Amino acid sequence: MTLLTVESLKVGYGDLIAVRDVSFTVKPGEIFVLLGANGSGKTTTLRAISGLIRPIAGRIAMEGEALGAIKPHAVARLGISHVPEGRRIFPNLSVDDNLTVSYLPTRTDKSLRAILDEVYGLFPRLRERHKQMAGTMSGGEQQMLAIGRALMNCPKLLMLDEPSLGLSPVMTDLVFERLEAISNQGLTILLVEQNASAIDLATSGVILSNGVVSMAGDRAALSSTQYIQKAYLGV
Amino acid sequence: MSSTVVSLIQALASGLLVGGVYGLFSIGFSLAFGVMRIVNFAHGELVMLGMYAAYSVYLLTGADPLLAIPIVGIFLTVVGAGLYLVVYERFVGKATLQQLLVAIAISMVIQIILQMIYGPETRGVQSVLGSQYLIYGPFFFSYGQIAAFIVAVICVGVLELLLQKTRWGKLIRAVADDPEAAEIVGANSRAINTVAFAVSCCLAGIAGCVLIIYYPVNPGTGMALMPIALIATVIGGLGSIKGAFLGGIICAIVQQLTSTFWSPALQDVPLYVLLLVFLAFFPFGLLGRKTAH
Ligand SMILES: Nc1ncnc2c1ncn2[C@@H]1O[C@H](COP(=O)(O)OP(=O)(O)OP(=O)(O)O)[C@@H](O)[C@H]1O
Ligand SMILES: [Mg+2]
Repeated sequence: MTLLTVESLKVGYGDLIAVRDVSFTVKPGEIFVLLGANGSGKTTTLRAISGLIRPIAGRIAMEGEALGAIKPHAVARLGISHVPEGRRIFPNLSVDDNLTVSYLPTRTDKSLRAILDEVYGLFPRLRERHKQMAGTMSGGEQQMLAIGRALMNCPKLLMLDEPSLGLSPVMTDLVFERLEAISNQGLTILLVEQNASAIDLATSGVILSNGVVSMAGDRAALSSTQYIQKAYLGV
Repeated sequence: MSSTVVSLIQALASGLLVGGVYGLFSIGFSLAFGVMRIVNFAHGELVMLGMYAAYSVYLLTGADPLLAIPIVGIFLTVVGAGLYLVVYERFVGKATLQQLLVAIAISMVIQIILQMIYGPETRGVQSVLGSQYLIYGPFFFSYGQIAAFIVAVICVGVLELLLQKTRWGKLIRAVADDPEAAEIVGANSRAINTVAFAVSCCLAGIAGCVLIIYYPVNPGTGMALMPIALIATVIGGLGSIKGAFLGGIICAIVQQLTSTFWSPALQDVPLYVLLLVFLAFFPFGLLGRKTAH
């Protein structure tokens, strides 16, 4: 049983092919990491899954159903949440409003209040600042908000694009620790990272190099230094 | 009271009343810009369409333009949704020049259609309110302008409330901040933009209803109104609703002061000076946000 299937994905920007041939599957309940150097095509892959960019070729399927050419909001309504690169919170909305606009009543029986309480329970810092304009929060707080926002639709799959980017080691540890807690509640996570310490969280994953999968394996295989070197140094 | 002080107070108060209506049609323009980054230069024509619509209701039924607000509001809402889906949607995110040319084309189409139906003459309504004055000591105010001001304040208040408190209002603000991020949290940005544009046109229609009470209309009226919406929006801060309303009031007060103390013929001159000053030195206006993307 697989939750997400990506098959022979090919995505480009004009003449430039950013993702040449990427395949992987994410199983329910796992933390799957997508590693790779700058420009290897990690963000492009997530954007294709979310429907933000149309693939040139390939197939993306959620629980066996191909997504086809559906709009990003329809992908979100299927239960795929995306914490984008650079966080992209709504800067002129309060923390509360960032979360409430992201609540999708069609996806759950839980009330808005109940889910808000869950998210605030996970990130107490957000509750303290619930009235604050999101754009005025620190980078770490904004990252928590971006993750909290992605949880508001009760997703089946949570995708995160370099959540550690720009965070202090302490804040990174906190975010990773929260991701583990979320995962322990049964949510499936697809984590894009350059920070190799993400491997410690992972159940399995792939390493991308120049738009193709150069390595695939479980945590033990990924942690072997030789693989990491190959991915990052391109040797 | 010296006559200068009387003139000054009269000019300020009239400016405030007229400014409410300027503010009303400026907030519609500002909303379309704030949410979709569309510079809708046809907004003046849409106000004019509202004026002609209210005039037609008056011709057919004798109803006062204030009573025509609901039907004209609905009519312009439908026109707005149609215009967005058929035309403007294609130009969201495109170069301003392209948007400008499209909006000018739409202005021309609206103008020509109205000219064909109503001819080039100036037309007005015999509103009970428009022809009566509230006289208070040396001061006098048209009831039409007072009614228009009240309607304008109600509209701005309701719009702000909707944007701040309702789910759709928050979604509109989320799309204004970051349409792509709004999509990935499940918001249908196309539907939300259509609603926002329709609301912008509805406000233009309501502004048309209150304007026609005291301001007769001809096919050139839209072109005459457009610069005011633009200047009010720049003064208030691009994309800010409260700013556009405030900017409208400032524009009208400046016009009234100029025409009282200088010459009615020159009343628009300081507006253009203000436009240049704001563009050059205060590009975010009085209430604009510096975090706009
Ligand atoms: N909007 C765009 N237009 C043109 N080229 C793009 C665009 N976005 C990405 N690319 C190119 O596609 C390739 C893959 O980019 P992508 O952002 O997917 O990499 P990444 O693995 O996420 O990198 P990073 O770790 O730096 O975020 C790069 O060569 C990049 O320059
Ligand atoms: Mg990236």
